[in-house]
This record gives sequence, C-alpha cells and structure tokens, in this order.
Amino acid sequence: MSNQIAILLAVLLFPGGVFALAFGLAMKGVDRRVAARLQSRVGPPLLQPFFDIIKLGFKRTMVPAAANETVFLYTPLVGVVSMLIAAALVPITSVYAPDAAIGNLLVLLYLLMIPGIVLMIAGSASGSPYGAIGFSREMALMIAYEGPLVLIAAAVAIRTGMGMGGWATFSLNDIVAYQQAHGSFLFDPVMWPAVAAFCFFYPANLGIVPFDIPEAETEVLEGPLLEYSGPVLALFKIMSALKKVVVLSLGIVLFFPAAPANLAAGFLVWLIKMAVLMLVGITAVRLSMGRMRIDQAFVFFLKWPLLLAVASLAVVVVV
Amino acid sequence: MGLIPDFKKIATRSPWIYRINAGSCNGCDVEMATTALIPRYDIERLGCQYCGSPKHADIVLISGPLTVRVKDAVLRMYEEIPDPKVTVAVGVCPISGGIFRESYAVLAPIDQYIPIDVNVPGCPPRPQAIIAGVARAIDIWRERL
Repeated sequence: MSNQIAILLAVLLFPGGVFALAFGLAMKGVDRRVAARLQSRVGPPLLQPFFDIIKLGFKRTMVPAAANETVFLYTPLVGVVSMLIAAALVPITSVYAPDAAIGNLLVLLYLLMIPGIVLMIAGSASGSPYGAIGFSREMALMIAYEGPLVLIAAAVAIRTGMGMGGWATFSLNDIVAYQQAHGSFLFDPVMWPAVAAFCFFYPANLGIVPFDIPEAETEVLEGPLLEYSGPVLALFKIMSALKKVVVLSLGIVLFFPAAPANLAAGFLVWLIKMAVLMLVGITAVRLSMGRMRIDQAFVFFLKWPLLLAVASLAVVVVV
Repeated sequence: MGLIPDFKKIATRSPWIYRINAGSCNGCDVEMATTALIPRYDIERLGCQYCGSPKHADIVLISGPLTVRVKDAVLRMYEEIPDPKVTVAVGVCPISGGIFRESYAVLAPIDQYIPIDVNVPGCPPRPQAIIAGVARAIDIWRERL
C-alpha cells in the first residue's frame, strides 16, 4: 500500500507532476531568454511560458465543424498523463529511484512514443488539411527516429546486463547503479556511437528546429496544433514541457548518471547536466540551423543515427 | 477570490499576435514583421509572439483597405479567432482606404465589417507607433478577459 502511495506521489509531485511541469516550463523560459540574448535581443521574461499557460486558460476552446469532438478534445489528456507517468519512471541519481515495479526502460520507451501518436491523432481528428500534413510528417519522423532510440536503449541495457553477469537488464535503477560503480558510459569508448546517436535523436523527439518539421509554423502553420485553442492548446504545451524533462533526464540516466551520494549535491549536479544538455543540444542547435525538409530528415536519420546505433549495438555485443 | 484577477493580470503578459492582410500593399506588413522580428524593436519582451494559426491569437493586426475579393476570407478568419480578442488596424487604409480610397474594389472603412479597437494611422506607420498600438491593445484586452 505504501508502495502505491509512493508511486502516486512520484507521478503527481516529484519528480513527475508539479515539479516536472514547473521545471519544464522554466527550462523553456531560459531557452527563449538565452536565444534572445544570443540574437542580441532583450527577450521575454523568464516566466513567459507560465504566463502563456495561464493566458490560454482564459481563452475559449473552439472545435472545428469537421473535427471529431471527443477525440479532438481528449487525446491531449492522454499525452499529458503518459508524460506524467514517464517522468516518475526516470531516476535522478542519489535523489530519486523509481519503484522497482515501474522503473523499466522498455515501459519508458513505450510511454515516450505516446506524445508523437497523440499529435498524429490530434492532427487527423481536427479535420484540417494542415493537421493531415502534420500527421504524415510526424509519422515519417517517428519511423525515422524510433529505430535508433530502441537500438541505443538495447545497447545500454546489454552493456549493463553483461557487466552485471547476465544478458540484458532493462531496470533503470540497475543501469544507474552499474554506472555509479563502474564509471559512466559517456567515458566508455564502446558506448560513444550510442552517445552520438542519442545526441541526434533528442532534438527530433522534442521537435527542435532542424527537426520540427511536423509543426513547422511557416509551412504547415503548426500542423496538428493548428485547430487547437484555449485550455486544450495549453495541454499540448504542458505535454511538450514534461516531455523535455523526461527525454533529457533519460539521456542523463543512460549515459552520465554520475553524481555525489549527497541528496542536495546530487540534485544540483542533475540540474547542471539538464542545463548543459538543454543549452547545447536545444538552444544552440535551434538557433544555428534551418529546418530540414521531411525527406532530408528521414534519409538523415536512416543514415547516420541508425548506423551509429547499429554500430554501438554490434560493438557492445562483441566486446 | 483574489486569485482570478491576479491570473488575469498575468495572462495579459502573454499576448499572441496574428496578422491579417486585407488587401494591403505590403508596406504595413513589412513594418509589422520588422517590429517583431528585428532585435531593435524586440516585442517578445512584452511577451508577444507571432502565431501561425488564428486560433492561437489574442491580438489581431489588420492591414489594408479590405478589398472586395478578400472580404469573405477576412471575415471568416476573424471568426476563427477565439474570444477574448482585440483588433488593431494598422495603416491608414483600414480607416479610409488610403491611396486606394476611390477604387471600386475597396470596401474601407473596415470597421463597417469588423469591430476595430485601436487605430494606428500612417502610410506605413512607424514601428514605434505599431508597438504603442499593441501596448494599447493589451490594456483593452485586460478589461475584456
């Protein structure tokens, strides 16, 4: 029973729920501010994403005549809930360890697919041609980046499992514990192809500029989000904020969970790693690159990240 | 009970902007793009953000004299913008038709068809005037929330 309460608290308060939402929105605020400064602008206030969410709460929700109302209004909820649960699965070294019953890499991989699927369903349920284009692009992009992600996860799981004397382990707690004992995978040459592949994967999964093709506001007017307004649009913003926390945190768990055993110090180290991942992998990338076409992105993902991921899996199995 | 007014005050710090070109010559549109997009007049500091979809918008900037051919499209677009919304007419064309005023193809003044809250005259208006118009629109928007 206390087990279930702990899981519930993890989903609703920390590290999921309230904390992940506030942290994700704050990261977005920092991202926009830093981007503005790099373009020598003043930029929005740091709390701008919070203002946006509150503002959307006051707007009217409109359902287009061509839309399927139930699907249109309730799919974003599915996305938000899946991300809340996902946030509770990811350990933070020496701060939070998920319950053994839920802290599983495979479960996390499935949960991470849901936001993409939600965008696809939302886009097609809105009855708008732009939503349909967004749907097809999101699907193509997902096919391109999910393969490398699964292979990266498999490489990490097999490396950990073989190190612990078995075959593969998908427990996130074990992955963290193994790296705490034997050094992080980031400094393990065998894992470098997987690290590189992950660096390509996460901007695509988060919809950052070179890969924000499904929601390109200049071509398809934000695609699946085009018809959404008011509180339901806020749900999408919340979903993407939570997803950012989950994916970056997953990157830390897979490759660099090293942190001091102290609770406060461990949390601080986690914050610093998140900030570095965000500023280098998201802000700098999105400012310095243009958007790819969907065919370019598709070919790119089937070439480099997939190659790297296959290579890393092969090397891990052989070495 | 004090929370809702506080939230409304916060909400006005996030005005999202949408542009409608009602047959404008593009002069005002260039000025509008300039005010938001170049560093010098960065209006993102007011929390503004251009949005691609009318359904995300709070403040609508309309330019042009409303030509006969775009009238239906503009009216339909205007209906797609969720309440509460504020309309800003940019340039002299929405007021009187400007240099197009005698034309058979022009329906200006535009406020016969759409309620206009703020007028920013000029041909084209200066960026500072457009920013002042947006700031005025935010004040009006606060009362409507």
